[in-house]
Amino acid sequence: MTPRLEKFFAAKTFCVVGASTTEHKPGNVVAYNFINHFPGKTYLVNPKGGELFGEKLYTSLMEIEDEIDAACVIVPARFAPQTIEQCGMKGITNVIITTGGFSEIGKEGEILQQQINDAMKKYGINVIGPNCLGLYSPALGYDTMFLPITKLKRPKSGPVSIFTQSGAFGAAFIDQLSNLGTGKWVAKFISYGNASDINETDSLEYVGTDPDTKMILIYLEDFKKGREFMEEARKISLKKPIMGIKANRTETGAKAGASHTAALSSNDAIVDDLLGEAGIIRVITWDQLEDCVLAFGTQPLPMGDKVAIITDGGGAGVMASDMVTDCNLKLAELSPTVQKYLDETFPSFYATGNPIDVTGSATAEDYKIALEAAYNDANVDSIVNICLPCIPDLDIDEYIKVTKHFARRKEKPFITALIGGDEADKATAQLLAEDIPVFPSPGRAVRALGMLTDYTKYLKKHGIDPRTIQVEE
Amino acid sequence: MTDNKTIFEKIKNENRNALLEHESKEVLKNIGISIPPSRLVQTESEAIQSANEFGYPVVMKLMSTQVLHKTDVGAVVIGLNSEEEVRSTFVDFMKRFDNVRISGVLIEKMVKSGLELIIGTNIDPTFGPVVLFGVGGVLVEAIKDVVFRMCPTTKEQALIAIDEIKARVLLEGFRGMPRVDKNELADIIVKLSELAWENRDYISEMDINPIISNEDGLFPVDARIIMK
Repeated sequence: MTPRLEKFFAAKTFCVVGASTTEHKPGNVVAYNFINHFPGKTYLVNPKGGELFGEKLYTSLMEIEDEIDAACVIVPARFAPQTIEQCGMKGITNVIITTGGFSEIGKEGEILQQQINDAMKKYGINVIGPNCLGLYSPALGYDTMFLPITKLKRPKSGPVSIFTQSGAFGAAFIDQLSNLGTGKWVAKFISYGNASDINETDSLEYVGTDPDTKMILIYLEDFKKGREFMEEARKISLKKPIMGIKANRTETGAKAGASHTAALSSNDAIVDDLLGEAGIIRVITWDQLEDCVLAFGTQPLPMGDKVAIITDGGGAGVMASDMVTDCNLKLAELSPTVQKYLDETFPSFYATGNPIDVTGSATAEDYKIALEAAYNDANVDSIVNICLPCIPDLDIDEYIKVTKHFARRKEKPFITALIGGDEADKATAQLLAEDIPVFPSPGRAVRALGMLTDYTKYLKKHGIDPRTIQVEE
Repeated sequence: MTDNKTIFEKIKNENRNALLEHESKEVLKNIGISIPPSRLVQTESEAIQSANEFGYPVVMKLMSTQVLHKTDVGAVVIGLNSEEEVRSTFVDFMKRFDNVRISGVLIEKMVKSGLELIIGTNIDPTFGPVVLFGVGGVLVEAIKDVVFRMCPTTKEQALIAIDEIKARVLLEGFRGMPRVDKNELADIIVKLSELAWENRDYISEMDINPIISNEDGLFPVDARIIMK
């Protein structure tokens, strides 16, 4: 069966109901987005009539003669039920309602929500929302995000699909991705709000089959269809990485039950185990989610858990090593030939074990030698490249060149941590500008690698070769 | 042998919210989980005869719908080594619990000590029936070293779950303890998860705690089934 969301994204004719002539109003922004970017035909409806962006404003849906494949309804909540009814009469079966003021505000809103649900059932309409940002796909010119581009920058087309229960989270994360590296990240974005109809499980089903989606990011606070979600995730996670936040971790404790099992059944304990079992990489914090995009979106999966750390600072190397243990990774034992080569090449006061510490005397050439040796070592599954650029003899431009070279080889994951002030920031910006993954601390770099490796471990446990998963180009 | 549906219907008709231990164990036996030799007896002589048949030591437990937390009120006596001890325990039970309705005395062959584990099920409001596995015993709620899966679970899923507890090293034969038969353990997890799933209209919670792993195998020692 075709996932229902596909019908929304496949629309050839689209209608904005509640198109507004007032600049920056939601109905104005969405109309602007579609008129300017949507390759199909866009119809605008406003009961006052007139013109907007050089297009006719129809006073009613009924006035439109063409068939409408999908619509975005941006009218005050109290007018929503009759608008949905009209959509039904017009034969529109895919409707996004971005407006808030429904079940999320209490009793009054619940009545309106019920009226929408009734109209939805009566006409067999698929509904996204209400109380959401709706859908965004840069490649399809599809954008119901009602915040103006001056405030909410749009990321360009890329491998990541996102679905979120919280519209505000979605908006801020989308804005953030527009500013991350080249900004080329998003395949499909789905904000389903109150999930009166389309929910997290529909979203997962859709992005799971969408060929443009190479990795899946989620933000959830609860599940409408928990069992189905987990069953679907179990299948999809063997083909595409799924990662995300399930917030509301302390919402419900276990009820005191008559059995030990009931007493131990806190909702989050169950959620955590089921997410893991379904192959979903659970992150807790917002920054981890961004780190996921950078790591999964730019680097291949490691073949194993053995990490080599190259550093010019002892402390940073030790902290990275600690995080290696915390993330269930292992420090690689360099192969004897590599070890011998490093011992012979470097001055005796460099530490040539793992971490390889090229010390405060390091030059960019030293980094190149150490990184090359570790990268080519079959005993090493992934590389952490740590640099504190404040040391005297390091030519930062050369170091950046070396880092770019290895990050682009993509035979194994190569993650960089640049720590310091102005020079570190500038180098970070230069690398990020080309989607080279760089993090501001050793811990974050290793943790990003840990998430990649967790996914490798999951795939291997299920008999899947990690090399079959391609997120980055 | 009474089938499980009949057992659940009977409990429901009697307006009871929990099965007695011997009933819970009968349900487990019906789904192919092997239980140490046990029998519900009504008389002193039946008790002695059963004990002699099973071999010593034995355990005696008072079965009454009015006594649910048996250990708290001394309704479980373990390590009985002779006919005389069985007789005096029986007499003592009858004396101490003469004010409650007694369904009988459950006499069981005592299981050798070993690693105490727990397998249980519950109905989660989001995910429906879930099965739990972990470190069992009286400290289970304090230690909280458990994993969950949705019911029904498969053997592959159960085997992976078993290795997810923090104390997994205990299962491998820790400090001279016998290794846990993970294969058998996974089978029991699967059977219990299927029981919970198929009877989700009857069962709200189940515990097999402890299920003891020793050099002779895996033995469910206590079982509890709570009705919806």
